[in-house]
Amino acid sequence: MGQYQAGYATALSSAASYGASRGGAPVVSFENVSKHYGNLHAVDGLTLDLRHGETVALLGPNGAGKSTSLDMLLALRKPTSGRIEMFGSDPYHAVKSGRVGAMLQSGGLMPEVTVRELVTLITKLHPKPEPVETTLKRAGIAQFADQRVDRLSGGQTQRVRFALAICGQSELIVLDEPTTAMDVETRRLFWASMKEEVAGGRTLLFATHYLEEADQAADRILVINRGRLLADGTPAEIKQRAGAKRLSFKLDRVEEQFLLGLPGLVNLEIRHDVVQIQTSDSDATLYAVLDAGHRPHEIEVGSLGLEQAFIAITAEDDAANGNAHAGETI
Amino acid sequence: MGGTLALTKAEISRLRRNKRYMIFTVALPVMFYLIFGKSQTTGYGVSFAAFYMVGMASFGAFSGAFNNNTIRISQERKDGWIRQLRLTPLPANAYVVAKVLTSMVTTVPSILIVFLLGRFYAHVQMPIWKWVVCAVAIWIGTLIFAALAVALGYKLNPDSVQPVTIVVFFAFSIFGGLWFPLSGALAKFGEFTPTYQIVKISTDVIAQGSVALVNVIGLVVWFAIFAVLATFAVRSTAETV
Repeated sequence: MGQYQAGYATALSSAASYGASRGGAPVVSFENVSKHYGNLHAVDGLTLDLRHGETVALLGPNGAGKSTSLDMLLALRKPTSGRIEMFGSDPYHAVKSGRVGAMLQSGGLMPEVTVRELVTLITKLHPKPEPVETTLKRAGIAQFADQRVDRLSGGQTQRVRFALAICGQSELIVLDEPTTAMDVETRRLFWASMKEEVAGGRTLLFATHYLEEADQAADRILVINRGRLLADGTPAEIKQRAGAKRLSFKLDRVEEQFLLGLPGLVNLEIRHDVVQIQTSDSDATLYAVLDAGHRPHEIEVGSLGLEQAFIAITAEDDAANGNAHAGETI
Repeated sequence: MGGTLALTKAEISRLRRNKRYMIFTVALPVMFYLIFGKSQTTGYGVSFAAFYMVGMASFGAFSGAFNNNTIRISQERKDGWIRQLRLTPLPANAYVVAKVLTSMVTTVPSILIVFLLGRFYAHVQMPIWKWVVCAVAIWIGTLIFAALAVALGYKLNPDSVQPVTIVVFFAFSIFGGLWFPLSGALAKFGEFTPTYQIVKISTDVIAQGSVALVNVIGLVVWFAIFAVLATFAVRSTAETV
């Protein structure tokens, strides 16, 4: 049994240019942004652009730097170096102009007031808000609007936070792990109402570590790990870039060296006579096996999910960084 | 400013529903005054009824501006409410400004009610201008504790802010002479407290119609100290709230 991983460097090198290919001034731009805490590189040279009307998922494992990036975007933290712009202005003034609505994991609510009072308060602070009743309905909190904020369940609290993010009808909505603490049904409802929200041409950026969420909700995924951008593209592109087909067959005589040289190969696993290959081009890989005179049997070709793609991308990054740096990044 | 006022309004309506707040700032001073207000001694050169009126009004306003704010600010910082507010178009200082404005409004009833008791229950008699000057002196004087509350609320987490609040509250109440006139060594020590300056300014107005400059300076110095502490505390947490 052996496991080998080929590089994705070529497949991923075009990632950064993805955003620039779309028209209009960026809604958000990060220019070589870093956030260091001593030796800890929470965010490390992040460069990206968000365009108007995009729904973008910031996907990464826990501690990848998602929250820190969003905090800096929302002027809660200052970058150690680099520049962030939102609507052509610095983050603080962009937030104060009311053009951003945000929901953070760490965002709390004012206790001792009712849900309606709280939503009304935050609504009043925005220049062009949605009517309070509309917000309550859209966020699915109308039925408990007269309950006190400090007496809600975790899922209800999360929906109130969501209401605060959308009540200002802001052009950009930023959500950090929005569906944490939601059950499956609530999560489905949440994304349904979220799609309505952004249907009118608003831009949405959300951080998540749920892959199916990024896959289903986003039209663009930014994969980050160790504070760096590893991949940037549509869910389909991300899957492809990571070697998104799985090819498996049995061989009577397994030659490791030959298999490692196959075109499109991303990952190879051999268990006795069973060969499992992750490939970016399953056709080319299989033809090469046949052309070499092999007659594999029990051939299976299947698609990889985003999850495997994601694991492959981050595993490659972790391997490239080696264990020496493991303790220095979060 | 409209947003800050909206936040202040919400803060005030929260407090109105808070029983604990009502007990400490209104019910306790009123109860003590009803029990002891008619005592026939004197304090700081004025009748006990007048002294105790000043003391209880200051006590209610002090706890309203201080106790309540330290614990709330610390808890709201931990809960992330301050972060949430920073994501709105509200200016960065709105939270602190609203807390101070709220204290300015919510300490008024405790002063007024005790003063009304002083006049109509314990029959304290003095010209109208002395009533006004005393009430305003207590009101402005106790507001300096809102600054100290901001400093402690931002600096300490909810677990440690509670005992610190209680210690400061009792120390300034007792050594400041809010509950009974101090004498002897205790008085010498208590003369330095901010609460003593408030009581002394008011009783001087009642007794002589004038105030000693040293007490006014004392109050200003305490305010400067608390304001500097508050500014540092808020700044030092700007990255993490």
